[in-house]
Amino acid sequence: MTDNKKQKELEKLKKEKDEYLKGWQKERADFINYKKDEKERFKEVVRFSNERIIKSLIAVLDGFDLAIESFLQQGKDKKENEHYLKGIYLIKSQFEDILEKEGIEKIKVKLGDSFNPALHEVVTVIEDKKYSPDTITEILEKGYILNGKVIRPCRVIVAKTI
Amino acid sequence: MAKVLGIDLGTTFSAMATIEGGQPKIIENAEGERTTPSVAAFSKTGERLTGTLARRQAITNPQDTIYSVKRLIGRKFSDPIVQKDKNLLSYEIKEGANGGVEIKMGERWYKPQEISAMILQKLKTDAEAKLGEKITDAVITCPAYFDDSQRKATKDAGEVAGFNVKRVINEPTAAALAYGLDKKKDQEIVVYDFGGGTFDISILYVSPDTIEVKGTGGDTHLGGDDFDQKIMDWVIESFKRDENIDLHKDPLALQRIKEAAEKAKKELSSTMQVEINLPFITSGASGPKHLSYSLNRSKLEELVDDYIKKSIDLTKKTMKECGLKASDIEEIVLVGGQTRMPKIQEEVKKLFGKEPNKEINPDEVVAIGAAVQAGIIGGEMKDVLLLDVTPLSLGIETLGGVNTVLISKNTTVPVAKSQIFSTAAENQTSVEINVLQGERPMSVDNKSLGRFILDGIPPSPRGIPQIEVTFDIDVNGILNVTAKDKATGKEQSIHIEGSSGLSKDEIEKLKKEAELHKEEDEKKKGNIEIRNNAESLVYTTEKTLKDAGEKVPADLKAKIEDKAKELKEILKNDNFDIIKTKTEELSQSLQEVGTHLYQQQKQEEEKGKPEEKEPDKDDKDDKGEKDDKKAKDADFEEK
Repeated sequence: MTDNKKQKELEKLKKEKDEYLKGWQKERADFINYKKDEKERFKEVVRFSNERIIKSLIAVLDGFDLAIESFLQQGKDKKENEHYLKGIYLIKSQFEDILEKEGIEKIKVKLGDSFNPALHEVVTVIEDKKYSPDTITEILEKGYILNGKVIRPCRVIVAKTI
Repeated sequence: MAKVLGIDLGTTFSAMATIEGGQPKIIENAEGERTTPSVAAFSKTGERLTGTLARRQAITNPQDTIYSVKRLIGRKFSDPIVQKDKNLLSYEIKEGANGGVEIKMGERWYKPQEISAMILQKLKTDAEAKLGEKITDAVITCPAYFDDSQRKATKDAGEVAGFNVKRVINEPTAAALAYGLDKKKDQEIVVYDFGGGTFDISILYVSPDTIEVKGTGGDTHLGGDDFDQKIMDWVIESFKRDENIDLHKDPLALQRIKEAAEKAKKELSSTMQVEINLPFITSGASGPKHLSYSLNRSKLEELVDDYIKKSIDLTKKTMKECGLKASDIEEIVLVGGQTRMPKIQEEVKKLFGKEPNKEINPDEVVAIGAAVQAGIIGGEMKDVLLLDVTPLSLGIETLGGVNTVLISKNTTVPVAKSQIFSTAAENQTSVEINVLQGERPMSVDNKSLGRFILDGIPPSPRGIPQIEVTFDIDVNGILNVTAKDKATGKEQSIHIEGSSGLSKDEIEKLKKEAELHKEEDEKKKGNIEIRNNAESLVYTTEKTLKDAGEKVPADLKAKIEDKAKELKEILKNDNFDIIKTKTEELSQSLQEVGTHLYQQQKQEEEKGKPEEKEPDKDDKDDKGEKDDKKAKDADFEEK
């Protein structure tokens, strides 16, 4: 092999070596980063599965609210029913305690608040002279925040612009 | 190198993905969701909203909430589709400059691409926040039927959002890329895309380096949302029939039914029946009313039968237009959340006579494919970096003809794995290593890649020698199997080339067979385990009784010997239930010997301390296990 050829061969090999080394370093770095990400992802997965369970439990909590409301509307005259009602309240608050410990927060809202899409979702609009336009006239379902993320917006009825 | 973002800009939802560590990965938006509603709005307080927030306020602000803009992008106002959709949209549109469409949002008129840009802008900002770096390059997808003007408008939308749009690729092409179908040669594939609001069918011709669209079809107003509506209608009608109350007028009830319907539909993809329970749905004259119905899978299938039939008819029609028969199609890809429905998968399979590709999340597959394309452009998916996987599991044959897997299928190569094995018989001086490939638990049902013998193992009781077996596959798929006796250091190996050299059909066949025989194979393997356990227990029993000698009371010894003899006798037949029961019985009786020996030892220890030191001395020479030591102590005392 002539010197010129050898030189060329050497340059080619050097170039290849650099390419391989770079590729290998990149793979290593990617792998180390991947492991770090995986750790984070695992935390996310735990959080996510919690979120899924909590989301389905919210529907049960809604059931309690609806039951109590219905009771107040229709059975409040009967004195003997009070004890039952109190019992239901207690079960509900037990349930809420558990969810609170898991990091759930109720979205605070009251009638007349202005509508905020970051926290509320409009289910329908009505004409209501008592309230100014774009404010909340009725709360249909409570909203909840879990670890800073709105897992269910508060479902509301909003006053129409007349 | 800066990352390139792959974006699926959908009619109702959009998704984004990028390449990380050589693999495509979906990026969540700021709200923590994997898909983002393709909605933009100008709120009443003058704010510009996009995604989920825009959707939440849609009802209070319909004229300034812009959705489904993809139906308008790049089209002329006079286009019949625009004219048809015009009446369905809640916002105002008009003819703009050059005959295009303009949309009113707030006080201003926008081009559709400007609205799309707002959605893309949100994706860009959210991706940058998630990835912690600036992103400028993007690959955006569009339907295969989009013409030049629609593609140009899609590209413009990306540029307005601040992206350098590297390429606009077809959604079905992206789906095919996500499954790696671009590496196939000369074949026709069908992409069946059943989304939330649209149904698209595309026929692609894949040849080396190119994917060509041969034909498209579908229905721009048929989607998963129609399925939800059917369930809602069924629930509301059932309630009306049973309670004579119309829930259509009750917004809270409607909201709850809508959610329950969506949930029921999703759950029915994995279960046969769901309960739709909505307590206190409303109040009647006689007090609160509850809604409770059970919906089973076949009822749902009946409700939406027309839609599924329609999609299949459209698929047939599109194939006919391309001059193709179902048998000409090599691969089918399912896209869109609705394709999770088992009935749809079944009908597609029935039409083509083969299993569709459905492993990748159908809501995300287009974005994943866009990221793969982005990766190719960004140089992150170079072919040299693509590592192969072992298509089938590799293992060796062990006691009772069982296939013990060392490297399971789909492991990325290069890889090396070792495991320690031992002998099955007394004074066994050689072992035969039979290298197996396949998924079946019994070795005879798998392919034998080669065998070799390791001899010269010093005679010892069964289970004592330690034979380390190592499987090493290099980057080219060449397998090296080594067996080494740890005591003597003696080793033997075999070199197998082309261990993954099976054709795709062979691999598929082997996988299918494994699936087909799963149950009987598991039973067979279970039976072998029962037999191996029984044989091993008989051996342990005999050894224990021999070692313990006189220390076991004669009556106990006789009882156990009888039981062991009985088990040995039963082992000649194949009644595994009895073998299992008798093994358990013998094991319990043998425990009595253990208890007895310990008690005896304790009594001896209590006799006096000086004697205790002697056996301890002896212990130092004894390299056996702790239990052995105790047995030895007792021996010593006896002497």
